[in-house]
Amino acid sequence: MQLPQFEYIRPKSLAEGLAALAEHGDKIAIMSGGSDLLLNMKFRLEGPAYLLSLNGLSELQQLEKLDDGSLRVGAACTLTHLAEHTIIKECYPALRAAIFVVGSRHVRNMGTIGGNICLETRCWYTNQSKIWRDTREGCFKTDAEQCHVIKSAPKCHALNSTDSGPILMALDASVVLASHTGERIVPMREFYQNDGVEHTVLKPGEVLTAVVLPPAKGRSVFRKLSQREGLDFATGTFAAAVIGSNEQPESVSLVLGSVAPEPRVMPQAEKILLEGGLTDEAIDAAADVARRALLEVTNLFTPTFYKKRLIKVLVKDALLELRDQRVRG
Amino acid sequence: MAKAKIKNNVPTKSRTKEDLAVVGKNWSRLDGADKVSGRSIFADDVRLPGMLFAKVVRSPYPHARIISIDTSEAEALPGVKAVITPEDAKDIWIGISQPLLPTENVTHVGHEVAAVAAMSEEIAAQAAALIKVEYERLPELLDVEKALKEDAPQLHEKAALNIGWQQEEEHGDPDAVFAECDVIREDTYITNPSHNCYAEYHVCVADFTKPGKLKMWTPTQTAHLFQQSLAAGFKLPASDVRLLTLNTGGGFTGRTSTRPHHFLAALLSRKAGKPVRLRAAGDEEFIMCRAGGKVIYKLRSGASKDGKLKVIEADLLFDTGAYIESQMIVTLLTSKYIHALYPIEASRYRGRLVHTNHLPYYFHHGGGIAQFQFALGQHVDALAREMGMDPVEFNLLNAVEEGHTTMEGAHYASCGLKECIEKTAAMAGWNDKYGKLPKFKGIGIGIGAMASGAKGLYKHDTSAAFVKVTEDGKASLFVGLPDMGQSSHTTMAIICAEVLGILPTDITVISGDTDTDPLDIGAFTQRGTFNTGNATKNAAIDARDQLAKTAANILEVDEAQLVFRDGKVYPEGQEDKAIAFAKVVYKTLHSREGRFVMGRGFYNSPLEKGTMAYSFGAQIAEVTVDPGTGVVTVDKMTASHDVGRAINPRVVEGQIDGQIFSGMSQVLYEETLMEDGQVMNPSRLDYKMPRAFEMPEVDHIIVESIDPNGPFGAKEVGEGPIVCTMQAIANAVTNAIGDQVTEMPLAPWRVIRAIKD
Repeated sequence: MQLPQFEYIRPKSLAEGLAALAEHGDKIAIMSGGSDLLLNMKFRLEGPAYLLSLNGLSELQQLEKLDDGSLRVGAACTLTHLAEHTIIKECYPALRAAIFVVGSRHVRNMGTIGGNICLETRCWYTNQSKIWRDTREGCFKTDAEQCHVIKSAPKCHALNSTDSGPILMALDASVVLASHTGERIVPMREFYQNDGVEHTVLKPGEVLTAVVLPPAKGRSVFRKLSQREGLDFATGTFAAAVIGSNEQPESVSLVLGSVAPEPRVMPQAEKILLEGGLTDEAIDAAADVARRALLEVTNLFTPTFYKKRLIKVLVKDALLELRDQRVRG
Repeated sequence: MAKAKIKNNVPTKSRTKEDLAVVGKNWSRLDGADKVSGRSIFADDVRLPGMLFAKVVRSPYPHARIISIDTSEAEALPGVKAVITPEDAKDIWIGISQPLLPTENVTHVGHEVAAVAAMSEEIAAQAAALIKVEYERLPELLDVEKALKEDAPQLHEKAALNIGWQQEEEHGDPDAVFAECDVIREDTYITNPSHNCYAEYHVCVADFTKPGKLKMWTPTQTAHLFQQSLAAGFKLPASDVRLLTLNTGGGFTGRTSTRPHHFLAALLSRKAGKPVRLRAAGDEEFIMCRAGGKVIYKLRSGASKDGKLKVIEADLLFDTGAYIESQMIVTLLTSKYIHALYPIEASRYRGRLVHTNHLPYYFHHGGGIAQFQFALGQHVDALAREMGMDPVEFNLLNAVEEGHTTMEGAHYASCGLKECIEKTAAMAGWNDKYGKLPKFKGIGIGIGAMASGAKGLYKHDTSAAFVKVTEDGKASLFVGLPDMGQSSHTTMAIICAEVLGILPTDITVISGDTDTDPLDIGAFTQRGTFNTGNATKNAAIDARDQLAKTAANILEVDEAQLVFRDGKVYPEGQEDKAIAFAKVVYKTLHSREGRFVMGRGFYNSPLEKGTMAYSFGAQIAEVTVDPGTGVVTVDKMTASHDVGRAINPRVVEGQIDGQIFSGMSQVLYEETLMEDGQVMNPSRLDYKMPRAFEMPEVDHIIVESIDPNGPFGAKEVGEGPIVCTMQAIANAVTNAIGDQVTEMPLAPWRVIRAIKD
C-alpha cells in the first residue's frame, strides 16, 4: 500500500509550524513519529493535503525540570529517549513501564510521547484498507451515521489504545496545547472525550507541545494486557497512583485504558479504596467496579464474559502490586 | 561400469559417523551470507524494461451475480495499458474446477473479477477503482455445517448438499472390533482458518510478450507443477512456459500450487505486450494466500482393557470454500495418518469437502496433517487417561516399530518411534513430572509419523540431478528442488560433496530455471532430502565413476579399491599414494578422450504408490496456564526426531525449532477471523503470531535410525516436528487445567471457558 500525495512541511520553529496549521485549517495533519498516522494514510483513513512534521523542532524535544519540581517533557521526545532517561526511570517508573510496552523497539524509536497521547482510536471495521472498507457501509469515521462495533450506538465506539494516556491521567499530568493565538494547559483527566471520532479536546490549529508531570509523589503502577509480547495493541491497560499509606490513602487515582473511546477514570472504585484502604476486600470490590463498567461489546477475539474477567484480573493484580510497593515520602 | 563398489559410498546401517567426511557435520548454509547481507534477490526485486504494474478488481460480496462490468473509465485513464475481464479469460481454468475469472457469479469476498496493468502501481490502483461492477446479491453460505443442511442453497450444480468431494476408507471390520473393545471414546475437535505465515508475500512477474512463450518469476515450492499448471491454463507445451525461481521467502505449504494472480499477470502481459508485475498489497495477501479453512474432526476409538488401541474412526468435515483446489490431497493424506502410528486392527475414515462462500482453501501449514494430529493426539491422550494409563506408557505400548506395514500398505523399513518416545520422556523428566506438577502447570506428549514423498498424488515422484565437475576440482550441482529456507540446496551440496570427496563449499548449486533444471516435483510432502537427495547422490556417483577410471589408471589399482575423500583420491588404506581430486579431473579432460565429467541421476519411489521412508518423532511440552487470564506459556519443549541420518545437524535443529515455533503459534495464537465471508484481521498486526519472546527453550534429540533407502540413511525433517507440537502443547494444557480445550487456537478465552472453577 502506498501513501497518497501530500505536501510535506518541515518548519524551522514551532511558531512557523503553528502559522502553517492556522493557514491550512482542516487540510493539514500533524506528524511526529508517523508510526500510526502514515499507516492510516495508507489505509486512506486520512488524506491531508499538507503534512506538518514536528521532527526537526528541538524546542519540542527537551526535558526540563520546572521551579516547582514538575517535569516538562517536550511532545516530540521519542518513546525510546524517555524510556531510557534517568529522571523517568527513577521518578516515574510506572510511566516508563507504559512507554516501554508501546509497539516494538522500532516503533518506540520513531514514535513520540505526544503522538502516543493523541493516538487515533481504532476498530476492526475501520482500520482496514479502503478496498476492504468499501465492502461495507461507512461509519461515523468515514461517511455514515452508524457504528459497526455497536450497531445501535449514536456515536463512534472505536477503542482508544494509548498506552501512556492512562498513567499520565493517574499521575495528574497536564498537557500544553498551543496554537498561533497562544497556549492553554489542560489536565490529562480532561483531555480525552468519549467519542471515537473526536476523542480529544484538541481544536483545529492546535498542537500538543508538552506534557507536564507534577513532582513525583506516592506510588504508581501500570499494567498492560496484550495477546503477544510487544507489537500489539492492548486488550486492556490499567494505571493507578496512590499517595499515602495502604491503610489511609490520601489520594487514589485509577484509570482503565483500551476499553472505550477514552481512558476511563473510575471514581467509584477510587472512593472504595480511599475509604476502605488497600485491603483485600476493597481491592476486590474496586476490581469488580471495573468489571461492571465494561460495555457489552463483543469483539471477535474476546467474548464479553472473558473480557470482563480479564479486566477484573488486570485491576486486581495491579492494585496488589501497588500495595506491596514501598511507601515513599 | 563399476557401480556402487567404491568404498566411501556404501549406505549401509553399519556405517558410522567416522566413515563420513562431510555428512553429519555442521555446515553453514551456502546462501547464508547472501541472505543476511541482503545480496539475495527475490521475485519482488525483478525489474524488466517496460514492466507494468497490475491491480486486481475483487468482489466485495461473498456471493453475487455479476450484472455488468464497465471498464470504459479505467481504460481511458492515462497510463493504463491493459484491462482484462472475464471475456478475456474464457476457457482458462486454474486448478480443477475454477474458471480464472467468473462469467456469472462471484462466490467469495475477494473473488477476482477484472484486472488492470498500468505504468505504475498508483495508476493501476486508480484504474481498478474506476472499473464499475454491478452485482445482484445471492444467498450466502458462511458456515460449513449449515451448508450441509437440506434447505441450504447449493453453490455448484454438481455438488449435492454442497459436498464437493468425499473420501471414505475402511480397513478391517471396525464395527466388529468396536464390539470387542472394553473402552470406547468419542471426541470432537475444531481447527480454524489460518495463514501460512511465510515472510515473502505472494508476487509474480510475468513476461508473455513473445507469442507462445511465457516466462514467470515467482516464489514457489514447485516450479515443475507451476509450469504444468500454467501450460495447461494457456494451452501451451510445458516447455514453452519457463519458471524462474529466485529465492523463496518461505513455503509452509502455501506455494504448492498456482494462484489466480499467476494467470492474471500472464494474461495482462500478453494483452499489453509488456512484462507485468502483480503483488499482494497488504491485506490482499490474506485473500491470495488461502491457507486452510475450518475443519471439524469427529473421532472415535476403542481399546482393550490392557491398554491396546484396536480401532480408530475419523469423520472430518472441511470448509473447502468456494472451489475445490487441491484439498482432496488433504483428505488423501489424513486418511493415511489414521493408522500411521499405531498397529490397530481396523479403521474407518470419512472426509468431506463442503463448499461455502469462503475463500477457496488450500493447505494449513503442516498440510492438514499437523491439524489432524492436534485432534488425534488429544483424543488418544484422553483415551489413555480415561483408562487410567500414563500417556507415555500408552504410546510406548501401542507405537509402531521397524518392519511394520500399515493396513494401508506403508512399510516402515526404519522406525525409531519408541526410541524417540523413551528418550524424550527421559530427557524431559516425564516420570518426575506427570501427575506431580502444581496446579496450572502441565506436561503433555505428542507423537508423529511423516512420509518422505507421496507417490500416488502424481504418477511419479521423481527428482533428478546433474553434476558438472570443473577442472579446478570443484563441481556444479543442478537440481530442480527449490530452497525456500529449509536449506535444501546446502543439504544437496553436502550429499554431492560426500560422494565426490570434496567440500560442500566446493559445490555451486544451480537451480531455479525450468529451462535448465532437471525435473523435480518440488519441495513438499517432505520429499526433498529423500528423493532429491537420492537423485543427487546418484548423479554424483555417476560423475565419480567417470573420474574413477582415470584415477584407477594413474594409481594402477582396481576402481573398486578407490577412496574419494578430503579432495584426494587414493587406494583404500594407502593415503600416502593419494592424488589430488582436481588432478584427476584435469587428467580426465586433458586426455585423448577429452572427457568432460557430467554425472546424472534420478530417484523415484520403486513402489506403485507411497514412499520407501517414514520418519518419526515425539515431543513433550511443558506449560504454565495463568488461571486468571487463561494465557498459556510454553516453558519448554523436548523434541526427539528420527530423521534417519542428520545430513546437517545444525539445520535439523533449526527445522525442529522453526516447526516448534510455528506449531506453538498455530495452536495458541493464529486464527484468520471471518465475518460475513470477510477476513477481519488481514495484517501481521491483527493476525496474531507470537514473536521471538514467546519461543520456549528447546532440547533436541536427534535419533538416527539410518534408513536403508535414504541418501546416507537420511529421511526427512520438513514436517515431522510440527505434527507433534500442537498436540503436545494441547495435551500439556489439558494436564494443567484438567480438561481439554478442543478448539484451535487455544486462545486464552477458550482456556478460561474450559477451566472448571
